[in-house]
Amino acid sequence: MRPDDFAIDNCLKCAVCNDACPVFGVHPRYPGPKHLGPELERLRREGVATDTEWLEYCLGCHRCDLACPHQVSVSEMIARAKAKHRKPLARSLRDWWFARPGLLGMLATILPALSNFALSMRPARFLMSRLMRIAPRRKFPAYTRPNLHSPAKETTSGDRMRVVFFPGCFIRFNRPELGRKVIDLLERNGFAVEVARTDCCGVPATANGDEAKARSLARANVRSLIDHVNAGMRVVTACSSCGFMLKTGFGGLLDDDKEFADAARQIGASTLDIGELLMAQSDAGKLNTTFQPTNLRLAYHAPCHQKAQGIGRPWYHLLGKIPGVAIEDIDAGCCGMSGTYGFKQEKYNVSMAIGQQLFDRISASQPQMVATECATCQMQIEHGTTFKAIHPVEVMLQAYDGRPL
Amino acid sequence: MESNRYDVVVVGAGLSGLTAAGTAVRENQRVALVANGPGSFVLGSGCLETQDMLRSGTAPERNEAIAFFCEMARLADCPFDGDIAGGRYLPTILGGFKSVALAPRLLWNAEPRDGASTAIVGIRGLSDFDENFMAERMNERARTIGFACTYAARQISLASDCGIPVTTLRIAKRFDCDPEFRSELRDALRLAAQGFERILVPSMLGLHCSETLIAQFERELGCALGEMPTLPPSIPGLRLSHRLWRYLHRMGVELFQGFPVQKLEIHEGSCTGVHVASLGHPLILRGESVVLAAGRHSADLLGEACVELDPQMRPLTPGGSAMAWNLFAAGALAHNGACNGEDAMEILTGYWAAKFAAAARGSYAAR
Repeated sequence: MRPDDFAIDNCLKCAVCNDACPVFGVHPRYPGPKHLGPELERLRREGVATDTEWLEYCLGCHRCDLACPHQVSVSEMIARAKAKHRKPLARSLRDWWFARPGLLGMLATILPALSNFALSMRPARFLMSRLMRIAPRRKFPAYTRPNLHSPAKETTSGDRMRVVFFPGCFIRFNRPELGRKVIDLLERNGFAVEVARTDCCGVPATANGDEAKARSLARANVRSLIDHVNAGMRVVTACSSCGFMLKTGFGGLLDDDKEFADAARQIGASTLDIGELLMAQSDAGKLNTTFQPTNLRLAYHAPCHQKAQGIGRPWYHLLGKIPGVAIEDIDAGCCGMSGTYGFKQEKYNVSMAIGQQLFDRISASQPQMVATECATCQMQIEHGTTFKAIHPVEVMLQAYDGRPL
Repeated sequence: MESNRYDVVVVGAGLSGLTAAGTAVRENQRVALVANGPGSFVLGSGCLETQDMLRSGTAPERNEAIAFFCEMARLADCPFDGDIAGGRYLPTILGGFKSVALAPRLLWNAEPRDGASTAIVGIRGLSDFDENFMAERMNERARTIGFACTYAARQISLASDCGIPVTTLRIAKRFDCDPEFRSELRDALRLAAQGFERILVPSMLGLHCSETLIAQFERELGCALGEMPTLPPSIPGLRLSHRLWRYLHRMGVELFQGFPVQKLEIHEGSCTGVHVASLGHPLILRGESVVLAAGRHSADLLGEACVELDPQMRPLTPGGSAMAWNLFAAGALAHNGACNGEDAMEILTGYWAAKFAAAARGSYAAR
C-alpha cells in the first residue's frame, strides 16, 4: 500500500482528486474526496467528531488516488472513516449482508432455484426495498450450485507452470461456469490450475464499512494462499476487484500483525490478473494463438479496479490479437455500479447518473457486445444499455473453438 | 511484439510530457506515457504568458515547437492561438492585466477593447471570485495600460444552488453533463448581460464538452462571452490536460496513469527499462528511447541534484558523458534550475526531446 503516515501532509488541496471523482461530477452536494479524505482526516486525527453521511457516497473506485500528483491515499482515508460511520438500522442490516457475499452466496445456493425465484418476485423486491433499502429496479444475478473444483490431477502434472486461481464470490456462487472457462483458457495456454479454497476477497466488506469482517476475511485468505505462494505459484484472478484487493496486500488491513502483513504483501506481489498472465505468455511467445477467424465488433470497458492495478490494458490487446475482432476502448470513466453501491436504493440515481456517459458512448459505438472484466460493471452496462456484456475470457475461449458467442 | 515494449516511453504528463508524447506519435512512434499526476500546468492559468515565451528565446526551434503545440491543441479540440511575440493583455482574477502570448479562444474573449462595456458576472456562493473587487480594479488598471473601456459587476443566482460553497470545478462538471443546468446558466447570464456588449465569467464552461457546444452556448446567449481563469485547479489548464490526454489515447498512445516511476534501469550506457511502482509488483516498460519529463522528480530518478544536458538533450554524468544514449530530458530538468511552470520552455523541450528520441531510435535501428 502507499505510504500513508506522512501522506496527509502531501495534500496541497489542489482538488485534482475532485476532478477525478465520478460522484463529485454528478452529485451537486457531494463534498468530494478532498474534503472527505485529507481535509476531514486532519480533524479526525485530532479526535474531532466529523462523522458525515457523505462518507457512504464514496464509490471506492480509487480514481482519486490515481489522479493525485502526490500519492495521497485519499480513498483509504475515506474507507477508514466510513468504517466508523453510524447508519440507520435498515441500512446497517442491508450493508451487513452486502459485506458478506460469501455467506449470502452459501445460503442462496442451498436451494438456488428457490432463491432465484424469491429474489425475482415483485413482492419480495418490494419488501427488500422497504425493509432493506435495496433498489427495486436492480435485478440480482442468478445463483447457481457452487460446483467449481480444481481439475483432476492428471491435467495438473507434467512440466506445466502451476498457478492457483482465486475465483471470488461472483464466480463461485453465480457463474461457476465462467470459472471453468477461466481454467480451460489457462490450460489451453499451458498452465496447470488449482482452484483456491478461499472466501470473499473483502472488497465488499471494506466498501460497506465492515472493517472487522474485511480483516477476518483477509486473514483467512492469507492462510489459504500463502503455502501456494511459498511454493512459487502465481495467484490468478479473473475479477478486477479481487485482484486489486490481493495486490494491495489486503489494503493494509493486516498491518498490525507483522507476520500476516508480510505474507499478505508476498501474496500481493505474486498475484496476476489473468489478462496480465496471458499477456506475459504472449510476450514469451507462448500464447496459444490457434484462433478461428471471427467477425466481432467489441466495445471494451476498463473497470476502475483494473485501472487501479496499474497494468495497462492487457485484455484490450489480447482480444485485439484475435483475427476478425475489432475492439474499441470506450474510455468513458466509471460505470457507477461499484459492486453493491448501485444496489442501494438511496444511491441508485447517483449510480445511474455516473454511468450515463459510458452508456452513451457504448450506444454511439454500436458494438455487437461489450467486454469487461468486472461482473458488476457487466450488470450495470446491461442495465443501462441494450448491449450484452461479457468477460473477455469468454470471447477468447470461443475464438479457439470458432463458435459464435 | 512484447506488450510493454515501445519505441518511445515518456515519463510525466505535464505540458512537456504531453507535448513529447504528441510529437513522438506524430513521428510514427509507438508511444507509452506514464504519469503519476497531471503535472503543474493544470494549476496555472491555462495560457502562455509573454514573459515566459520571451525567456524561451526566439530561435526557429522555438517557433517550430510552439507551432506544433498549437496544431496538437487544435486537433485535441482545445485550440490555442495568439501571437508568439505577445503583447496582448488578458485580465486576471486579481483585477489586473497580464501580457499573454497564447491562450484558448474563450480566454481571448476577455481581452480589453477600447470603448467596450463589459459586465463581470459572479455567481452567488462561488468561492474564490469577487466580481466587485475585480470591476473596481479593472476600471483603474485598464486606463493605466491605455484602454478606454468600462467594467461593471453583476451577480447571478442559480436555482440549483444547494446552499453550499460552489467551485468552478463543480460548475464545469455540471455544465458538461446536464443540459438543464446549461439552460439555467444561459438564461441567468442573459439577464445579467442586458445593457452590456460583453460578459466575463470565471472559467467554468465545461471540461470535456466540445468547442461546438460552447459556440452554441455563446450564440444562444446572444452576447460575447469571455472566461477568466480562477484558482487551481484552473479550468482552462484542466481542460487542456484532459483533451490532450484524450487525443493521445485516440492516437494510440498507451497511457499509464496513477503510479510513479520508481527507477530507470540504466545498463552500459543504455536505458533499458522504466520501472513503474504499480500495485503488487512493478510494471516494467521497455522503450527504445526514454523521454524524462517528470518535473522535479526527474532529478531524483537520475540520482543527481543538478544535471547538465548535451546538445541532443541527453542528461550527462558529472564526468561529462551521456548517462544513456537513448535517455532524453524535457521539462523542468531541461531548462535549468528544475523550476516548474515555464510553459513555453516545457513545450520547447518536450518537442525537441521527443524529436531527438525518435531520431535516435531510428539511427539505432539503422545501426
